Amino acid sequence: MTDDGATKIETKNLSVSFGKVHAIKDISLKMPRNHVTAIIGPSGCGKSTFIKALNRMNELVSDVKTEGEVLIDGKNIYDESCDVISLRKRVGMIFQKPNPFPKSVYDNVAYGPNIHEFYEKKELNKIVEENLRKAFLWDEVSDRLNASALALSGGQQQRLCIARALAVEPEVILMDEPCSALDPVATAKIEELIRVLRNDYSVVIVTHNMQQAARVSDYTAFLYLGKLIEYGSTNDIFENPKSELTEKYLTGKFG
Amino acid sequence: MSRLLDAGLERLTAILFRMGEIAEETVKLSISSYLMGVDVCDKVRFLSETLVSMNVDAEDKAFELIAKYQPVASDLRIIKSYIKIAHDLERYGRYAWDVTFIQKRLAQSEKCEDPSKIIEKMSRKVTDMVHTSIEALRSHDAELAKSLAVTENKVDELYFRYLDLSAEAPVPTKCLITNVLAVRYLERMADHATYMGESIVYIATGEKVVLR
Repeated sequence: MTDDGATKIETKNLSVSFGKVHAIKDISLKMPRNHVTAIIGPSGCGKSTFIKALNRMNELVSDVKTEGEVLIDGKNIYDESCDVISLRKRVGMIFQKPNPFPKSVYDNVAYGPNIHEFYEKKELNKIVEENLRKAFLWDEVSDRLNASALALSGGQQQRLCIARALAVEPEVILMDEPCSALDPVATAKIEELIRVLRNDYSVVIVTHNMQQAARVSDYTAFLYLGKLIEYGSTNDIFENPKSELTEKYLTGKFG
Repeated sequence: MSRLLDAGLERLTAILFRMGEIAEETVKLSISSYLMGVDVCDKVRFLSETLVSMNVDAEDKAFELIAKYQPVASDLRIIKSYIKIAHDLERYGRYAWDVTFIQKRLAQSEKCEDPSKIIEKMSRKVTDMVHTSIEALRSHDAELAKSLAVTENKVDELYFRYLDLSAEAPVPTKCLITNVLAVRYLERMADHATYMGESIVYIATGEKVVLR
């Protein structure tokens, strides 16, 4: 992919290891802004490690070593000057299992904005409504904002987590298998939401569901044993992959 | 371990290969009978209708596989192309029937003379093209498929030469009109052979080529 200023995130020779285990090996990849980039590959190929390197989440694990660079808007997030708290505000993350706080629906969304700044109640109400709407959840919860988030269905909880991530005004949203714990209807809603989110955010999604990658993403990267095997437009990858390994994985001949 | 999709693909491939055999038989029968002035209209019609019905089967099978397995990469290219190829094979049958029908309807199944021998030449080339397209289908051989482009150009040259000659005829006779329509049908068969060639190149390489 050529760089015409459209790159939001770029990894340069990125390698990540946990002790003696090399999870990611020398990956260089440019992910465009306002597009959805999918990371696919068999279990253990390094998908989750790769995505977690994009907002330094791997650092929460001991014995991790990261080499190379991750540039967001051209600036390396592994520079000493980079503030990790503000980085994670800019680069939000959605996990495999919905993980709302054991608080009310309202408090889940208000939590982020509240810790970063002081807001009047009226302003906060507006932020909560706006982000619940963006996550396509408002119509389902507007009459029970004070109910516990844990009382929502799995799909609703995941959309609440998306609303919570959006409330701190991120630029990038990372999603680590966001639908793997959801039923097909809830999955379809999240997928529709992902397609809308790309208008305002750059999205990187890890998924083990290849059809999901084909449906929601614009670009797809195939990882195998920690290496980047192939990267290109999703249409090209799914219609005519260049690498035999990609072809075999996509057609279910291994993995 | 074979994939669930494989059994379906095998079934689809079997339908296509059988269609290929029938289509080639139909085209050969129709063309050779035309050149000899023999009426085989009813038999060719039956074969053509068989191809129509098999095309429906192939299409149903292909959509079933898409719905059940959401195929991608080479699997998707094969299924997408087989839908198109089944249509091409059906068209071989239809044009073969048209040749025999027009001969029966206009020339009462008489042999229509062609002193220029263009129709004979076209017939040989089109029969070869149909055979080559079906061989390329069986082998997924992109080079063989690409070779169809050369023959198709020659068929086109012959077609236009025959049209030019016919335009100079002082009086249009039933046989002349029959021959003009027959070369048109032959030219269309050659087109479908190249469409098949394009699909086979796409299956084998992922490349979208135009062979005409």
